[in-house]
Amino acid sequence: MQILSRIPQLLIYGVISGSILSLGGIGVSLTYSILGFANFAHGDFMALGAYIALGLFTLTAGLGIPSTPLGPLSFGFGFILSFILAMGLTALTVVLIDRFLFKRLRHTSSIILMMSSIGVALGLRNVLQFFWGPQPHYYIEKIQLAIVIPGVGVRIKPDQVFIIIAAIVSVGLVHYFLQHTKMGKAMRATADNMALARVTGINTERVILWTWVIGAALAATAGILAGIENKFITPELGWQMLLSIFASVVLGGLGNPYGAILGGMIIGLSEEVSTAFISTGYKPAVAFIIMIIMLLIKPTGLLGKRR
Amino acid sequence: MDTIVGIINYIVFFAITAGTYGILSLGLNIQWGYTGLFNIGIAGFYAVGAYTAALVSGPPPGAWDGRIFGGFELPFLVGLLAAAVVCGIVALLVGIPTLRLRADYLAIATIGIAETIRLVLKNESWLTNGVWGLQQIPSPLYDPIRAGVTRFLGGHPDLPPWLHDLIFKSYNWFYLLLVLGILFILYLIMQRLVRSPWGRAVKAIREDEDAAAMSGKNTFSFKIQALVLGAMIMGIGGSLYAHYARFISPASFKPLYGTFLVWVMLVLGGSGNNKGAILGSFVVWGIWAGTDFLTGYFPFTATQAASLRIIIIAVLLEVILLWRPQGLLQREKRPPTILKKKA
Amino acid sequence: MSLLTGEGIHSGYGDMEVLHDVSFRIEEKEIISIIGPNGAGKSTLLKTIFGLLKPTKGSVTFKENSITGLAPDRIVRLGMAYVPQVENVFPSLTAQENLEMGAFIRKDDFSDRLEEVYELFPLLKERRRQRVGKMSGGERQMVAMGRALMLDPELLMLDEPSAALAPKLAEMIFERITAINETGVSILIVEQNAKESLKLADRGYVLASGQNRFEDTGENLLANEEIGQLYLGG
Repeated sequence: MQILSRIPQLLIYGVISGSILSLGGIGVSLTYSILGFANFAHGDFMALGAYIALGLFTLTAGLGIPSTPLGPLSFGFGFILSFILAMGLTALTVVLIDRFLFKRLRHTSSIILMMSSIGVALGLRNVLQFFWGPQPHYYIEKIQLAIVIPGVGVRIKPDQVFIIIAAIVSVGLVHYFLQHTKMGKAMRATADNMALARVTGINTERVILWTWVIGAALAATAGILAGIENKFITPELGWQMLLSIFASVVLGGLGNPYGAILGGMIIGLSEEVSTAFISTGYKPAVAFIIMIIMLLIKPTGLLGKRR
Repeated sequence: MDTIVGIINYIVFFAITAGTYGILSLGLNIQWGYTGLFNIGIAGFYAVGAYTAALVSGPPPGAWDGRIFGGFELPFLVGLLAAAVVCGIVALLVGIPTLRLRADYLAIATIGIAETIRLVLKNESWLTNGVWGLQQIPSPLYDPIRAGVTRFLGGHPDLPPWLHDLIFKSYNWFYLLLVLGILFILYLIMQRLVRSPWGRAVKAIREDEDAAAMSGKNTFSFKIQALVLGAMIMGIGGSLYAHYARFISPASFKPLYGTFLVWVMLVLGGSGNNKGAILGSFVVWGIWAGTDFLTGYFPFTATQAASLRIIIIAVLLEVILLWRPQGLLQREKRPPTILKKKA
Repeated sequence: MSLLTGEGIHSGYGDMEVLHDVSFRIEEKEIISIIGPNGAGKSTLLKTIFGLLKPTKGSVTFKENSITGLAPDRIVRLGMAYVPQVENVFPSLTAQENLEMGAFIRKDDFSDRLEEVYELFPLLKERRRQRVGKMSGGERQMVAMGRALMLDPELLMLDEPSAALAPKLAEMIFERITAINETGVSILIVEQNAKESLKLADRGYVLASGQNRFEDTGENLLANEEIGQLYLGG
């Protein structure tokens, strides 16, 4: 009974971690659907975003931009400004990496691109480690008290509510972009059939650019939100989540951004709830095992349709 | 003279490690170079090989050991074979759900299994002694050789000190011969294999899986075989590492770093060429060791230096992919006969 | 001056030459049908015209511009549209989104054109919110043709539009092709269904083993006994 009483609380944690995994997963899924390769550098794009935000936050504090906490949150305007700028700068960095590297390898094969992305992953992670060191850096040192939701007795911190809202807003924006903008529709068309998209006159290079921009901005968001949730960041932040993100994406259907959201939620919830029964150390293994089971039952995932 | 002895001793140490990597690189070559399978869980197979060998040939749990299992003190070769077999079984389990799918799935699954293996090593103390690792793994023929060396040195007290030092470390010479010998045997086996009908079949799969399937090959079965075979070779590499290091812990097998080095070795040397695989492992290990010296000249902290070295290797990989994708040595040009017949 | 001319085209895939010295011309407002047995190089010809394959020899001229070897996304801007035989729609997009993608390069308001296309294919208007992946073969073909028409092209190239369609649907597609032609669009159509396509064609070419064999009006080709025996199934 002890175990069962913990489950409502673990579900809350699961939603929080699922939100972060979903945001990471959308980017992996978009790159996969447009460029056709599993991007192993995506986790490190998340870490990059988190560190750029840290750097900017220090800068805004130095410039005297106020960072008095907003309402019940533990951070203020300066942090939110850094957050938004970091999304843009991460996108810019990723676009540059594409121009110098991935774009030139695009004529080769998806496996070469995947290999190259592993090089980018390790390179980026170690650039972060070179400048900031392997030790944790704290976003917010203040300890925040949790609110107890009456009736169910589960606790949640205002920052965690922020994370969930930020994820919902981001997912909403992505949905609007994909369904209601010209570029978003062109992106779905290109994912369906790139050759036909070209024949139709769609500027596929522009589509690819936007794919990176959106994937990277969401990666930065996921990285920063993970930093808010953990209170600190390390260069390994993204890599530690990458396996769970891949599992989410495969579970939902590789190449389908909506699948990534669904998969992210399921993996987040399963990982957290599993801690009631097995060692916390096995969280990534839980994701992995769910993925393998999915591959055995239906390799195209829950929502996927492509090969 | 002392520095020369130091350099010789270092070269021996260097060659043992590079030779072990050469074995891993040969294993990867059969998977990637010849069959086109993207395995990025090398560190996992390497770890399974090392732990299996340590559990089979190592001592039983000591006083502070968390283990309740293992330590059968069986001969070195038994441990070596066990390492290969267990790695093969793990590869089989990874291959079955993934090898019918696109390459991306195998990649994700192999990195997943490597991470899972690391978690098991860390958490399952009853088997692995957790983060404390396994100690006092015996090196083969260590005692007789050391006894012989001590006896010889005792009988020749008037040797110059540098020669004394050199002979004193002669166990490493023996281990180097052992590693190079196994590397050479594996190389010969691989060369025969890739030229056999089996080798032609897997190469056909690498070139065009659909065409190979249409010409009646059971491509899934060939891919499984290649994955298992490569993993077994990696297991042998792991066992050689365990017996040389004599101490292994989960920290020795951080996924991706070891895996990444082996990939760069194979890609640089020339995937699909066994000589290239071995050449690449010596060159890249040379660069890796060289950057260790190089970063020593700059005012970097130890972690900064470590990061810089990985950045250098990462840049090296991208440079190869962009400008010399075929590597130093190209594939041997033998068009797969299956495809020819089809056309 | 003809709308589109090809002269002495040699083309193929890699080392394999499929077309050996093929020439043709299309006048404005004409329907041209290219018929021929399987493997004659009909699809290869369309792909070469549209820049998906580079000719090794010969030239393609469209509206007095040389378009030999030009990329498809450039050719599309000159007023030529192409409907591939297979995978010619975006299955995860709705019918209307497919049509919108057809107008991707247009920066202006294209709602009038959308209505015109819906007039040609009223069924698409009914189903405009449905995902194309869930539609039947005939409906997909309509979506594909509608998509190609969104840019108001002067020349529409169709690769076997009736392939894999039931006779009744094929008939309907051919009838639509005539209707499109009546709005002033020239049409180049490649068909297995030779009889039907020659009936509506102003002129036709017979392609065999990568070479022109015959060129004549549609009626004459249909009446020609030799062609009848060889390519029209008696």
